[in-house]
Amino acid sequence: MGGVAIPRSQEGRFARWWRTFTVAYWLGWQIESNWTDPLLFLIYSVVRPLGGVLILTVMFFVVARGPRGPVLGFFVTGSAFWPFVVMAMQGMAMGVLADREHWKTLRYIYSAPISYRAYLVGRSLAQATSALAAMGITLLFGRWVLGIPLHLSSMRPLLLVPSFFLGIAAIVAMGLVIISALVWISGEAWRLPEAVGAALYLVCGVIFPVSVLPRGLQVLSMGIPLTWWLEAMRRSLLGEQTLLSFPWASDGRVLGTLALLVAVWSIGAARAFSFAEFRARALGILDQETGH
Amino acid sequence: MRPGRGIVRFLRAMVGRSYPRIIGSNRDKSWLFYDTVLPLLGTIAFVYVYKTLGAPERFVGYVIMGGATTAFWMNVMWSMAAQFYWEKQGGNLELYLMMPCGLTPILLGMSLGGLVATLLRAILIVSLGSLLFHVSYTLRQIPLFLLIFAVTVVALYGLGVVFASLFLFWGREAWHTVNLFMEPVFLASGFYFPVRALGFWVGVGASIIPLTLGLDAMRQLLFAGSHPALLPARVELAFLVVLALFFLLLARRLLQQMEYLARREGRLSLRF
Repeated sequence: MGGVAIPRSQEGRFARWWRTFTVAYWLGWQIESNWTDPLLFLIYSVVRPLGGVLILTVMFFVVARGPRGPVLGFFVTGSAFWPFVVMAMQGMAMGVLADREHWKTLRYIYSAPISYRAYLVGRSLAQATSALAAMGITLLFGRWVLGIPLHLSSMRPLLLVPSFFLGIAAIVAMGLVIISALVWISGEAWRLPEAVGAALYLVCGVIFPVSVLPRGLQVLSMGIPLTWWLEAMRRSLLGEQTLLSFPWASDGRVLGTLALLVAVWSIGAARAFSFAEFRARALGILDQETGH
Repeated sequence: MRPGRGIVRFLRAMVGRSYPRIIGSNRDKSWLFYDTVLPLLGTIAFVYVYKTLGAPERFVGYVIMGGATTAFWMNVMWSMAAQFYWEKQGGNLELYLMMPCGLTPILLGMSLGGLVATLLRAILIVSLGSLLFHVSYTLRQIPLFLLIFAVTVVALYGLGVVFASLFLFWGREAWHTVNLFMEPVFLASGFYFPVRALGFWVGVGASIIPLTLGLDAMRQLLFAGSHPALLPARVELAFLVVLALFFLLLARRLLQQMEYLARREGRLSLRF
């Protein structure tokens, strides 16, 4: 790779972390995108989320048959931001499995003098970057084709910007939690990230407000930062003209709860990962291949 | 065991390849969670969408049937179409090609094993989903329903073999292509709504995917009188028979051609 400097012997801890992060980001991006040309990659990145939003749109029109309402805005924003979870959280976990089982490089990466956490975060954010196109196209489609009230004048940047980055931090933290579980699992490890993604899709208010869920699942969803992240995204993009999962909460409360949950999940993820890493090393299963 | 010849060898290879999918995979009971609960979670999410919209009960039934159908589509795409990609990665593809039986019984064995396992999973998804959301069905023409299901499955797995032969030639693109054929196919085939909602001609166009007609015909029989049909069920059955024959013949021809091309281009053992 051009542009990667040879490290100095007295390189600081942060500098080494940053260098690992950037190289991992570059590597993640290459793995993600270089299997085809950029145009095909762009099409590939947007077709699935657009397909998802179109399914919901048809479902809406089959039943409603009437005017467009706030539900459509709910569908579009949920579908626009969900690819970040699929790509960054599930992608991070699948990346570790690919390193372990497919490329068989995990032992070399892990034994290199780098921060493995920085490597994982870099890989995850590279995946998140590929979700940007899907988000943009889905929002534009919602605005110009479906006519959802997505106007610059009604957006709330002071809620949008911090919420967005807090959401990405939450996704990375949740990815680390999944990886903590993955290092213990063999046979069905490939399916666990997808299982977690499907469960979150159901309980986090992605395509319907969590108030529709049974009470027990509502309580569960309130402890997951992604629920508050999607709520914040909807409020910041659509203003008052949308359905809400938590209509009783103010914008400040949504942002505050999101920040608190991200902090809790980040600390929990770091601890869970340290514990899983230690136990896996003690048991000698960190790079155990399963043949699946 | 003495080496078989002709049809015996063909059948032995087929049964041998289906064995790990029926018996082997059931040794690890974790599939009960991953293959029933996992698709059910996505299905339930769509049920709640209809509940948010205040849709009639039959729409919940549509979604549960769509969820069960998803299991078949996923099986065909991931475990049929992309299977030779996985085998290539695992180093098995060369072994298959060196065997005296050829690839056809291997693919038929994969189909048979996948079908039995997926059928079991689909039944569980429909049962659990219907119990959870109290959905009832009125099935009056059981023989016709079973016939439509059987022909749909044959056509679908024929399509799977067509894809498998194409993917024999590919590397990482195969994985991404299979990924690409998820939501767009769920949309075009009307997994979660009557396909007629997309318009008659779009529905007819999407009928190249056997599940479009199969699902629509089965919904007609389960929700008689209330389902907006694309075509009458018996006409859809006739089209499905044509599709099944077409895909089986195409699969056979493509498999031979692509195997030759892949051998010539040296891609059979090209992992990455």
